[in-house]
Amino acid sequence: MVELFVNMGQICSLKTEGILTTVGLGSCVGVALYDSAAKVGVMGHIFLPKSRANDPDALPGKYADTGIPAMIEEAVRLGAQKSRLQAKLAGGANLFPNLNVNSVSIGEQNVVAVMEHLAKYQIPISGKDVKGSHGRKMRFFVENGVVTVTAIGKEPIEI
Amino acid sequence: MNEAKLDFLKELANIGTGHATTALSQMLSGKLFQLVVPEARLLPFTEAAQYVGGLEQVVVGIFIVVSGDVGGHMAFMLPYDSAMHLVRLLTGDDSGEVNELALSALQELGNIMITSYLNALSKMTNLLMAPSIPGVAVDMAGAVWESVLAGAEVISEVTVIRTEFFADGEAIEGNIIFLPDQEDFDKIARILGLEEM
Repeated sequence: MVELFVNMGQICSLKTEGILTTVGLGSCVGVALYDSAAKVGVMGHIFLPKSRANDPDALPGKYADTGIPAMIEEAVRLGAQKSRLQAKLAGGANLFPNLNVNSVSIGEQNVVAVMEHLAKYQIPISGKDVKGSHGRKMRFFVENGVVTVTAIGKEPIEI
Repeated sequence: MNEAKLDFLKELANIGTGHATTALSQMLSGKLFQLVVPEARLLPFTEAAQYVGGLEQVVVGIFIVVSGDVGGHMAFMLPYDSAMHLVRLLTGDDSGEVNELALSALQELGNIMITSYLNALSKMTNLLMAPSIPGVAVDMAGAVWESVLAGAEVISEVTVIRTEFFADGEAIEGNIIFLPDQEDFDKIARILGLEEM
């Protein structure tokens, strides 16, 4: 079965079957969009909350504000219906909690931004494993929409 | 890449590594300590994680916020085995566990490595650079790496200085990641007379 690895800033998609995987989510947020009727899955690996003017050539998936609409567009292109899309999220951790005790971590800002943009497009969140201070591996099984999340030294959990 | 900038990074790598060697040799007194000439690279940010190691490989990352005349971040990343070997040499603890003692030794080690480079850069530019308390993470390389880049808000290129050394006969690999704020990088460039940094 095909397994695609989604790197920082990328958006990857599969239809019918296969696995979309993101390894090493720290402060980034992995987003899995799924239409269970069409069996269309799209995964994004969001790096920062908001796109910026000094990075005009960036992949849309690098930032939450451009990434979420680009992911929706990709799902629709593969035959998904926008009204059937559901989202699962993982990541948004703060690996160095003692360095920013007085401010909101980038990880948390990413989670907030992704949730805001999903809400804007009325996409419900059906599962999430976010924040905390550890890295995660996220695997998205497009055949059935199952998403598993693994931390180092731990067994995978289903979200 | 701009020749002048590469030369500057190589010089920074050499001087910084020299300082780090002296400091580490003192800490690891009596242990054979031999340094391999470092390699400095400017990498596009998506490639840098692969350069530092496989995304799922467990690494130790030490991250510091820099303030003063130059603002920014510096990080030191090393493979788990290299880190544990240094912990053994520093503490005598050979349990291989990441306990309180190991974390504090790693924090100190990262502090020495990073401040060695900061001091080198300070001397080259006459600019004040003060490091924060180090943050330490033991996690997947990909997770540590992207957290460092996002924390420093690096969106294009990143400077990685790879050092290799032998401590007590065993090879240790470490990567210094240099992340000055862009405006401050320009300030350093002006002082050193480098164009288009």
